[in-house]
Amino acid sequence: MKKFSLGDKVNNWVDPSFSDTSAKSEDKQIWGFQSEERRSRKWKEDQNGSLWMMKSNERGPDEPWVDKYSPCSQGELAVHKKKTEEVEKWMRTHTKATKGGILILTGPSGSGKTATVQVLSTKLGVRVQEWTNPASAEPYLSSLSEWRSQGLSCSSQLAQFQEFLLRVNKYKCLKMKGERGAAEKKLILVEDFPNQFYRQPCSFHDTLRVFVRNSQCPLVFIVSGSRSGEGSLWSLFPKEIQEELHMSCISFNPVPATTMMKVLKNIVYMEAEKQSHKSLYVPEKAELEMLCSGSSGDIRSAINSLQFCCLLEKGLCTLRKPPAMSLKRAAALSKQKGKRAKSAKEQEEHQAIGGKDVSFFLFRALGKILHCKRGNGDCPNESKGASGLVLPFHLLQHHREVLLVQPELVVERSETSGEFFTLCLHQNYLDFFSDIEDVDRASEYLSDADLLTGNWMIRHIIGDYGSSVATRGLIHSNSCQLPVGFRPLHKPSWCLVNKKHQDNCVAAQSLFKSFCLTPVGLQTQLLPFLAKLSNPTRSQAQMAVIQDVGQMSLRTCSGRLKLENLRDKEMGQEIEEEEELHSRVEKGLQVTQSHLLTNQALLEEEEVVIEEYDSD
Amino acid sequence: MSLWLDKYRPTSLGKLDYHKEQATQLKNLVQCGDFPHLLVYGPSGAGKKTRIMCLLKELYGPGVEKLRIEHQTIVAPSKKKIEINIIASNYHLEVNPSDAGNQDRVVIQELIKTVAQSQQIQSSTQREFKVVLLTEVDRLTKDAQHALRRTMEKYMTTCRLILCSTSTSKVIGPIQSRCLAVRVPLPSTEEVCSVLTSVCKKEGLLLPPELAKQISEKSGRNLRRALLMCEACRVQQYPFSADQDVPEPDWEVYLRETANAIVSQQSPQRLLEVRARLYELLTHCIPPDIIIKGLVEELLNNCDGQLKTEVAHLAAYYEHRLQLGSKAIYHLEAFIAKFMAMYKKFMEDGLDAMMF
Repeated sequence: MKKFSLGDKVNNWVDPSFSDTSAKSEDKQIWGFQSEERRSRKWKEDQNGSLWMMKSNERGPDEPWVDKYSPCSQGELAVHKKKTEEVEKWMRTHTKATKGGILILTGPSGSGKTATVQVLSTKLGVRVQEWTNPASAEPYLSSLSEWRSQGLSCSSQLAQFQEFLLRVNKYKCLKMKGERGAAEKKLILVEDFPNQFYRQPCSFHDTLRVFVRNSQCPLVFIVSGSRSGEGSLWSLFPKEIQEELHMSCISFNPVPATTMMKVLKNIVYMEAEKQSHKSLYVPEKAELEMLCSGSSGDIRSAINSLQFCCLLEKGLCTLRKPPAMSLKRAAALSKQKGKRAKSAKEQEEHQAIGGKDVSFFLFRALGKILHCKRGNGDCPNESKGASGLVLPFHLLQHHREVLLVQPELVVERSETSGEFFTLCLHQNYLDFFSDIEDVDRASEYLSDADLLTGNWMIRHIIGDYGSSVATRGLIHSNSCQLPVGFRPLHKPSWCLVNKKHQDNCVAAQSLFKSFCLTPVGLQTQLLPFLAKLSNPTRSQAQMAVIQDVGQMSLRTCSGRLKLENLRDKEMGQEIEEEEELHSRVEKGLQVTQSHLLTNQALLEEEEVVIEEYDSD
Repeated sequence: MSLWLDKYRPTSLGKLDYHKEQATQLKNLVQCGDFPHLLVYGPSGAGKKTRIMCLLKELYGPGVEKLRIEHQTIVAPSKKKIEINIIASNYHLEVNPSDAGNQDRVVIQELIKTVAQSQQIQSSTQREFKVVLLTEVDRLTKDAQHALRRTMEKYMTTCRLILCSTSTSKVIGPIQSRCLAVRVPLPSTEEVCSVLTSVCKKEGLLLPPELAKQISEKSGRNLRRALLMCEACRVQQYPFSADQDVPEPDWEVYLRETANAIVSQQSPQRLLEVRARLYELLTHCIPPDIIIKGLVEELLNNCDGQLKTEVAHLAAYYEHRLQLGSKAIYHLEAFIAKFMAMYKKFMEDGLDAMMF
């Protein structure tokens, strides 16, 4: 507790911009299964207003606005009405019943999942019991013996979690003094999964099964569906388990800009009213709009950056723009003096203040390239004036309207490797082309792009150029782009095909090594004929390979190759990709070695190495 | 029951069916009990390996026919373990170093060193050198080839190398000059026919000469293929009829259909179908360069004289890119798209000319 007073002292000369979070976490209950969580405590305080006032006075202006203005009624939630109703309905049915169910809430961070649960639980008079991982809050044990005796008992997070579920399920809460009674109904909230579960989802599933068998109160899981979270969702809650345990799953969308705007305006208004004596910088409407667009639907980060914005004085705000960067941008954009350039510049400037990196799901990023948007030819004068040149007559066929997307940015924001992105494009581009000559040019660009990324030694330098060639080439070569409407996008089949090719080759070689044939001879000559000869003396495995490799069904066109649709919110991080990368590295190595070593200069060196090696 | 291919493989230089003067030359070569390093090259199915085995038998006696397959692990200096299959007798050993991928240099150095350093036990009764037979030398990396040249000189006293490859173009000059190059050409159609007839006679079958001719033509004078085809014919139908269908590998038929699909329609949709077929071929272990070669052959049959040179040029261009790049499908597809565009334009121009 000494630390606190020190902290207060420090506060005298350093003005904290946010409230002391360590104090908050410190006075949390120590045990993992604390009955209330930080926010839920405040909810209760909310209910008797005097406490709330006192609290807010005590916290002063430094309290994060996110907490200060957290929603207390259903109307204030920045979530779509239908969603909240859906959650409410679930909560109503499951708190009434004696048997609890399981609900999973997913969605990007800052879309109001937790807030919805909190608001609804206060509304319905349900008490929220939340699990937090105990690891960080474990008591500090001074002596080693103490550590031994207690450390062992509280070692397993898993056991604690199971116990938590069991106890919360079984026992009622103690009634504390001053607490309002009748909080009979309970709800278990798990937002923080014990880490072990990510490694062994099976144990988690077993725990859940046990819980479901004798559950009495509903259980809500909140999975923050950030990009990595989406992956953990499927590992923790695979479809089979969801079906087996009758889980319901409600996914939240990012907060739309209009709703967010409303919230931010409200906050600014209230803040300005409250702190009229203080010199608070009130941001303009345009700035608020920028905040909304910059936070990409994350209301928490939007409010945080709003608070930060308001703290800054106006002069400071302009100072904070990194001058070098904006200059460079300005230089880059100075060629186009349209409106667009200006707005883009503004956006760049804003992102220096506090915005989130915008990222696209793969599906969307691909769509941006494939259904690429171009400026309409309304203002030909302007575009001509901007570029300063008009293409000569014989090159007029290459004239295109100005692009509205920047392909490099799209690739960067898709959060996949450029190569994988190119593969995805390759898988899907044919659906968007109508003329074979365009396809011809596009495929040539793709071939070029592969050539650029073929060499593993310079791939990290040149890889970006590869994807740039692929995306821009693809966009440019589509000369008569038609509005095609919705098209399903597919995952690239190349990874799978390549893997299968290699597996089959290895299997064939290892099984038929007694024929002493070269791989090519084996695969193209011997195996196809072996398939035609009915030879009973082959082993089972050999027969399988002969069937698989030697025979081809001539009737069906593509029976075996099923196209896998790219789901809406899917990431491109595939296992195949890594394997594929690995194999390519090896092949790349081979190629480059053979290339490099044609250099006479290197030959000399190589010889020395060999001699050294031989001498031992 | 082994294949006819293995059953009737000639086992001595005297019993070889064709290129007899070359056989006698080889016989004379080993007569004196020693020979230089050899580089045996020629197209697939010409009988390179058969000739080499006959040579070894001439040299060491029937002991070389007792083969065993060993699985050897070699540790590279970088502590990486490389596993490789070795076919060996007491006198020689056969390796395909390109199995090790880019680590083939290590295989060559390590393996040849261990072989060369172990002396033969009874050098009075036996030859004082062992033979190392390296197959697919043209697929070796440049790195490995330079290592090979060094090793060749160093262990000349205790070890002879026989290199086997389909062409010399990818073998570096220093190696070519250190070896005696022996070219094994394909047998002529008549020679293939006579081999087929004699094999059938040994099997107690009667092969009509027309069928023999048909098989040898369809096989492209590749004797391995011809024998396999003949055996497949036997399975298909016996007694043989003169005009019976000669079975071909499924993938070749499939590839031909693919080529027809390309010629019959040129549209993005068709390209998509062709792509699916290419994927199918790839999963059946057909290497991409063979796919492109097969396609060109079929496509050339279908196009006009003016287009032929351009198509061949395109194919060569994209085959080269195939080797440089990492993902074969891009280049295969680019080739097909180019061909489609070219063919379509050619046909439209032709149509226009007809109209006026």
